[in-house]
Amino acid sequence: MLTRIAGGRVVDPTASRDAIGDVWIEDGRIVAQSDPAIADRAPDRTIDATGCIVMAGGVEVHSHIAGGNVVLARLLLPELGVSEPGAPNPHGSGHDVGLLYARMGYTTAVEPAMPPVNALATQLELAEIPLLDRGGLCVMGNDDQLLQLLRDRESADAVRDLVALNVATSRALGVKVINAGGADAFKDGAIRFSLDDEVPAYGLTSRAILNGLLDAVEALNVPHPLHVHCSNLGLPGADDSLIETLEAAEGRRIHFAHAQFYAYAAVDKDNPLTGGFASAAPRIAEALARHPNATLDIGQVVFGQTATISLDILRQFSGRKAASPKKWIVNAGDAEGGGIVPFRYRDRGPTSSLQFAIGLELMLLSPDPERTILTTDHPNGGPFTAYPRILHLLMDKEARDREVAAHPKVAAERSGLAAIEREYTLSEVAQLTRSGPAKLLGLTDRGHLRPGARADIAVYRDQPDRTAMFARAHRVLKDGAVIVEDGEVVSWTRGHTLSLTVEADAGMARRTDTYLQSRFGAGLSTFTVPDAAFPDREVFEAVACRT
Amino acid sequence: MTAWIDGQAVERDEAVAAAAALLAGARGPVIAGLCAETAAVQAAFDLARAVGASLDPAAGPGLYADLGALASGGAMTTTAAEARGRADLVLALGPAPWASGLLADLAAEAPARGRAAGQPRTLLALGGPGDGGIQHVAYPAGEAGLAAEIGLVRGLVAGRIADPHPLADLAARLRAALYAVVVYDPAEIGALGTEMLNGLVKDLNEVTRCFALPLGDPHQGRAVTQVAAWSTGQGPRVGFGRGYPEHDPWRFDAARQAESGEIDAALWLASLPAPLPAWIRTVPTVALLGAPKGDEARVVIGVGVPGEAFGAALWHPRRAAIAWQEAGSQEAGSQEADPIRSGAPAAAVILADIQTRIPAASAVSQPESSASC
Repeated sequence: MLTRIAGGRVVDPTASRDAIGDVWIEDGRIVAQSDPAIADRAPDRTIDATGCIVMAGGVEVHSHIAGGNVVLARLLLPELGVSEPGAPNPHGSGHDVGLLYARMGYTTAVEPAMPPVNALATQLELAEIPLLDRGGLCVMGNDDQLLQLLRDRESADAVRDLVALNVATSRALGVKVINAGGADAFKDGAIRFSLDDEVPAYGLTSRAILNGLLDAVEALNVPHPLHVHCSNLGLPGADDSLIETLEAAEGRRIHFAHAQFYAYAAVDKDNPLTGGFASAAPRIAEALARHPNATLDIGQVVFGQTATISLDILRQFSGRKAASPKKWIVNAGDAEGGGIVPFRYRDRGPTSSLQFAIGLELMLLSPDPERTILTTDHPNGGPFTAYPRILHLLMDKEARDREVAAHPKVAAERSGLAAIEREYTLSEVAQLTRSGPAKLLGLTDRGHLRPGARADIAVYRDQPDRTAMFARAHRVLKDGAVIVEDGEVVSWTRGHTLSLTVEADAGMARRTDTYLQSRFGAGLSTFTVPDAAFPDREVFEAVACRT
Repeated sequence: MTAWIDGQAVERDEAVAAAAALLAGARGPVIAGLCAETAAVQAAFDLARAVGASLDPAAGPGLYADLGALASGGAMTTTAAEARGRADLVLALGPAPWASGLLADLAAEAPARGRAAGQPRTLLALGGPGDGGIQHVAYPAGEAGLAAEIGLVRGLVAGRIADPHPLADLAARLRAALYAVVVYDPAEIGALGTEMLNGLVKDLNEVTRCFALPLGDPHQGRAVTQVAAWSTGQGPRVGFGRGYPEHDPWRFDAARQAESGEIDAALWLASLPAPLPAWIRTVPTVALLGAPKGDEARVVIGVGVPGEAFGAALWHPRRAAIAWQEAGSQEAGSQEADPIRSGAPAAAVILADIQTRIPAASAVSQPESSASC
């Protein structure tokens, strides 16, 4: 079937396109209007996009939408995940998550924290998120088997093979490291941990673990760079951690998760933990400009009640006393485990307000919006459903000024937000939410509207209220099929889970099987995610490594 | 033969049609048991949404002792494999841990990972029967019960009890341990005991590391909890009577609902062994059973045993996770090979078949799937 999306303002920064025009679709893919195959044919279907903005479907790189800790958050806070008729909840079921993303024009979402020990449950949960293509990042960096290899100074090939095996077994899209060694250190009593601290029982620094994983990801040609959650998240002086980690990458590709939570310069350098913090957004933006190998996502703060969910159990434990309501979970699991600390970002609170301002400042100072991806680190900074409002504030200086004026003045005093005149263009919005995240994940078939792209498309009514515009898309197409009309789901398609095609080394598989048997009384086969776990469905779609 | 109506063998198709008719005609159906592979549990949640049923796993009471305490105050927990690798001190609460096999595993090894590696492992028992074959230090529980004893230990650990106390030594050992693990069965110590234990563990982490380790239930309850959470945003006892999931651990207790006459039809799902509730005889019920006799309920349909007849995602107690189990690998509840049942379909297939036969008129409308503009 030939479809024409007609007469909209088509915004695709990857083709320097921002003009009124058409987008043509056949067999779920975008085709060129000049394509001889369609030259003389009338479209079978025309979607009138007059007065609308046409963009590629949104791509999410970092949102906690599946896995054991997402489940635990729901159990800790039943009131947060509650369902109300007609009011889908981003903290609720996978069904609601899929609906809410699709409604905003997002068509792909990645869960960044899939521990290999819990891969099957995470993948089962991801498969229950409708409408979107999904993916999970395999978390390594605190697991005993890897730390043993590094401690014993085994070859880089052995580390590479272990990473490949974990990615293949868990059917991940990429690799993430969360405060490398920090969870292990916590189990041995530590409550502070930085890049050059040693994991006590292994005599390994966090830096050494990071290095091993950076090399392995490069050696395997994983399209998505190593996805890094640094140490000292949320602490005054955390900017030092991010910059040190960036320099430690020594030019290797690296992605920084939820950078806003590190953009906190200590006000009193001698007493960083007691003197409060000010924005380090300029420092991080400047570092990003100097390091083309680096990308980051924001982790924008949103006011209101949420649950923070993290495998960084050291930081979650350290932050437990800020829990609101006063209940929290730390699970010291088989590698990281996880921590759930409920939190309320108060719109009258000086700290929350400053965090809010810093996230916006970081995006507005960005030297390259394709490398500063919009996230709220859902639900850690707040729910992903805040994206429309955040985009509005980026695009509208006046709205931003009004917003900042409503918060304690420390937000303006300790950040540079108020002085920034920049207003994001639609092309920059597309970079921040489409082309940037798709490139970051190495998904060449999406994030743009060039011929050959997957026909994942969002059509928004062009209106001055950008919040309303992005909150409920006029039309959303997934693989060429209309799934949303005027903000309502009209077709409950199920999407695919994207998994990287990686060859696992047979020798490493045998070795790992022996290791797992001795540790769990269960071998490698119990850690697999076979197609048979999803009866009568084709859930997975293969993604190739870089060539 | 794998299907029966009123104890009489019938074609499976006839039984499935009868099951669909029973559920479609019910005003307050319940889907209970849920002692099955995750694909079947997922299909059960889908069916419940379609027919407006409530759900309650066989594991319900023990599970909710843990979930109730979790939602009240949170917890600090670890896994069996981490306890084996790291714990220098293990405290077993009550009798249940001694029946689990876990203590024998823990007693056979010393910590091998982390800062306690190389040190001996000490086992303590509070209020348990002990085991002559496992060296341990026993502390008797008083008449007030385990929950009260845990409260006393918590008071002692925090220094709130000044006088000499029989449990003072236990408290001192917990404070001195490098990685203590407290093994308990939530069904045994109850929600109050679990909440007190979670408080004790959190207090201890101000000075050292200590984690609670709940014994899993044998009826897939922890896997059901995960499926429930991602399917509804809530724990497993939910009702879809109003077309959207409502969570209420008291209201959707299937035994309570049966006793008070709130349900008029049931589907009991147990592809793995689970004790049949008494109410199955009084409420018109469809039973999907891995080991059917045929007279357990009004309609009985035999289904394949997961991990035996086919590979399946199941709760793995040693891994404390949903894990893949190949065909023929099912350990718990392993049954004699039965050639009659070997061709039985998976429960998920039967549940999906039932759902397709529910007339649209009796299916609960889904408010979120509104029509095109």
